[in-house]
Amino acid sequence: MQNDVFAFRADNVRKAFGQKIALDDVSLKLSEGITAILGKNGAGKSTLIRCALGLERPDKGQISIFGKPSKSRAARERVGIMLQDGDLPDLLKPLELVELFASHYSNPMLVAEVIEKAQLQGFENKLYKNLSGGQKRRVQFALSIVGNPDILFLDEPTTGLDSEVRRSLWSTVQELAKSGKTVCLTTHYLEEAEALADRVVVLDAGQIIDDGSVLEMKKRLGISIIQCSANLSKGELLALPKVVSCKLEGTALEIRTSDPDVTMKALIAQHPTVVDLSISRPNLEDVFEALTQ
Amino acid sequence: MSMFKSLSAEAGAEILSAMRSPSYMIPTLVFPIAFYALFGLVLTQGREMTAYLLATYGVFAVMGPSIFGFGVTVAAERERGWLQLKQISPTPALGFVFGKFITTLLFSGIILALLYCTAAYGGIAMPRVVWASLLGVHLLAIFPMLLIGLSIGLLLRSNAALAVANIVFMGLAILGGLWMPVSVYPEAMQNIAKLLPSYHLAEISLAVSQAPGERNILGNLIPVVVATVLLLGLVMVSWNRQKK
Repeated sequence: MQNDVFAFRADNVRKAFGQKIALDDVSLKLSEGITAILGKNGAGKSTLIRCALGLERPDKGQISIFGKPSKSRAARERVGIMLQDGDLPDLLKPLELVELFASHYSNPMLVAEVIEKAQLQGFENKLYKNLSGGQKRRVQFALSIVGNPDILFLDEPTTGLDSEVRRSLWSTVQELAKSGKTVCLTTHYLEEAEALADRVVVLDAGQIIDDGSVLEMKKRLGISIIQCSANLSKGELLALPKVVSCKLEGTALEIRTSDPDVTMKALIAQHPTVVDLSISRPNLEDVFEALTQ
Repeated sequence: MSMFKSLSAEAGAEILSAMRSPSYMIPTLVFPIAFYALFGLVLTQGREMTAYLLATYGVFAVMGPSIFGFGVTVAAERERGWLQLKQISPTPALGFVFGKFITTLLFSGIILALLYCTAAYGGIAMPRVVWASLLGVHLLAIFPMLLIGLSIGLLLRSNAALAVANIVFMGLAILGGLWMPVSVYPEAMQNIAKLLPSYHLAEISLAVSQAPGERNILGNLIPVVVATVLLLGLVMVSWNRQKK
């Protein structure tokens, strides 16, 4: 029985705002690890999170958190949340905010531990309104973990952060996931999903159009990219075997192929002037582009 | 136990926020005392006016923390998503209202204490039971005023809320006869006053402080109760509307 209880479970969830269908028959089960929900703006990511938290009521379908309704106290005790537009009161200090939120939970993390994990050291006693954008975001992150949650929803957690802060937040999230927590983050930074996620769920126009590990998705796309430098025309490149498409920028060439070995051999044989050869797997951005086209 | 801890943390955070906000502290704490000292003591000859204005300024004094404390802060917190974050946390949904209520109660108490001291300094002497009943009426005035503030906070965006709170605050004070007796107004304005809870609360305060003139406490209490119930309904509807 225990195995049937998922950290998060949505069954056939549908949500429309007037004419616009935000979520169209979405079913999703999450358990341990980091899942990234990836999609363009308006794909339904935030609506899915808001439904998960009970902020929106789905028109149809069921949502549960550890088998309990999202709005129940039992569920809320186990959920941590960082909203996209969750700004905090200007006239309180990070330490006070963390202490206030700790009082809401029956089994909170130690305040000192939260300060350390969210890296609030150095500004925990400054008024929130005087903090930088990155510091504010870290305080919001602190409030999401203070309750010692088993499932963490992070809605666009690193939007507007510089890359250093972003990376430090990533490592904290990875640490939390390693300790057995479920993390669900939405992002439109593909780099973020690629760096963090064990599993990627691609949402487009309210529907889940792909679901798997980053590696699986790349394999499914089944192409490799050959980069090189040569003075060749588009026609000459497309004439090579197994080439799917190509891009030219002066002498810098990018060839997409379904079989890199075959294409590469032919390229070298036919055009010995080619230099700077490299083969790479597509990144998530390529996968994403291919999926949402 | 944890419920108590959570609610007292809410109240503590609200009080800290309020104390750090000059735009809250000055109009709520300084204005009533300064105006009362000026118009009730310095610019008045008669002890009668000093007593009269004590009753009405007491209502004015609790209006500040109630209308601004609830109206402006709730609108701002709603707009920036803070309220939503609280709704998701396992804290009781109305915990934040409780925190604000304690803050309003605290600041109202401080202002009323200062006001009563100013009045006593100005020569007002009343039996203890009268002081106590006056305090009771002034504290009771918090409820309808707080509901007015909360309606503003739940229905309006923060910029609009600040403007509307100011208009309502001044309107209730002037038209309700809190700064000068309604009897000096033209008849049309006197009729408007009778529609305002501030007027009826002032009349009840005057009645319990045994000000000269015929007054019917019940006749003033009924409109206050009706207004409170209507406002409570409005607050509940707008609470559910913004929560949806």
